[in-house]
Amino acid sequence: MITFTDFTYAYPTSDAAVLRGIATEIPDGQLCGLVGPGGAGKSTFAYAASGFIPHVMGGESTGGVSVDGRPVADTPLSELVAQVGLVLQDPFNQISGAKFTVREELAFGLENLGLPRAEIIARVDDMLDRLGIAALRDRSPYELSGGQQQLVALGSVLVMRPSVLVLDEPTSQLDPAGTRLVFGALDEVRRTGITVLLVEHKLEQLAGVADRVLVLAGGELRLDGPPETVLADPRLAEWGVGGTRFTEAARRAGDRWPAGRPLPVTLDAAVEGFAR
Amino acid sequence: MAFYQAGDSRVHRLNPVTKLVFALVLIIAAFAINVVWWPAVLWLVLLPAVAASGVFRPFMSRTLRYFIPFIALIFLAQGLFYPEGGPVLFHLGPLSVKVNGLLFAAQTALRLLVLIDAFLFLLLTTHPGLLMSALTERGMPPNISYVVSATLQIIPTFRARAQGILQAQRARGLDTGGGGPIRRTRSLVPLVAPLVLGSLTDVEERAVAMEARAFGAPGRRTSLAEIPDSAAQKAARWLMWAFAAATLVANALGVVS
Repeated sequence: MITFTDFTYAYPTSDAAVLRGIATEIPDGQLCGLVGPGGAGKSTFAYAASGFIPHVMGGESTGGVSVDGRPVADTPLSELVAQVGLVLQDPFNQISGAKFTVREELAFGLENLGLPRAEIIARVDDMLDRLGIAALRDRSPYELSGGQQQLVALGSVLVMRPSVLVLDEPTSQLDPAGTRLVFGALDEVRRTGITVLLVEHKLEQLAGVADRVLVLAGGELRLDGPPETVLADPRLAEWGVGGTRFTEAARRAGDRWPAGRPLPVTLDAAVEGFAR
Repeated sequence: MAFYQAGDSRVHRLNPVTKLVFALVLIIAAFAINVVWWPAVLWLVLLPAVAASGVFRPFMSRTLRYFIPFIALIFLAQGLFYPEGGPVLFHLGPLSVKVNGLLFAAQTALRLLVLIDAFLFLLLTTHPGLLMSALTERGMPPNISYVVSATLQIIPTFRARAQGILQAQRARGLDTGGGGPIRRTRSLVPLVAPLVLGSLTDVEERAVAMEARAFGAPGRRTSLAEIPDSAAQKAARWLMWAFAAATLVANALGVVS
């Protein structure tokens, strides 16, 4: 569970708060999406949820953030990373550079935690199978496609068995095939019951996996609710978030969209609505 | 990675630390004893080990490639400019080629041959990842291991990034093809700033990614790789260290000269 308690934050290089009065709770096992325009503070939100704010980025804050009841500011980062996994945008930059094969790359975090070899082997081999990348095990991480590299980054974090996973736009630099790979893996991840915070621009894919969506604009939380309600909200355009193609199609269809039926945010909902 | 030759010989299967100690001891011994032919004996000791590991051809080809420029330079410098006196073999204009200069050049060249080839043998038969794991397991700071491993892989990383920048520059009309070497080198100058600045920007994100995988965690690291070791290898390492110590003592006491 991730809890933000009236959290306000400014980076050390600026007096202006990037996040203002954030108060929300992401309960255990929920996959919560976070959307917003560029500069809304989404990455800052992700860093705060994973403890890199304040441990690495520093800065000034009021209020607090806790994970599973432990305030992140009071928990050493080396302990926190075993509890909260963080996956970033650029798959290339997440390759450690210290390892020569995918299998070794997945083991990197576990080696740093000092786990016994037998457990490292069991966890790594299990993760390779679960993410469907066992065939890549002896390849260099540098030789993989962007989507495959992002799966390796995801696996490298999941193998540490965190209770919370934070992903900061994990598909922003991927092509459609890579995006499908990552969302396929996320679908698998959600079945494990892990709590997920997913910062994502690709609203249609997000609508397919999220239990709940938060909208962040100008450093403040503006909307909070199920994806079918939040992603169909007409104010999204006003905040620079846009909407899904399905919502837009139904909106433009006018009378052809059944009266009183909520606007769709997924392909299935759109097909069902237009079929009536 | 550029050196390592995959294989399954007994030498490949040795603990990397045993091979590292072997290399270090050969080098210490080569420099400890001040006799011209002594490093040649040590180099001959190295050859059966190279042959047994099945890397003889790459070993010899790299030795020639890296070593010949050194030999030429050493003989040229010491042969012509040896500062101390002694019998002169022949004169070359104002310069004179001295016997002592050539002997000194031969000894220096042989010592360097042992130094280069001892490490070449280690690198050809030991996967760098396994070597770093073995050393980290023995208490070497993980930062050092990281720097060595990352340096070995930095070339493909840089090449990939440079290729991306080059394509972007070409798409905007930069002509990087054709012309002589000077023109081609000059056309690569616009790559330098984005390559260096881009790499510096990446450092921050990479540091976060590394911390997210507990790179800064205190305590002893473990390793996925099983690093083979045996009582015989431990004994061999002690014996090798004893040999290195003996050569240093012999040199200090002036036993061999």
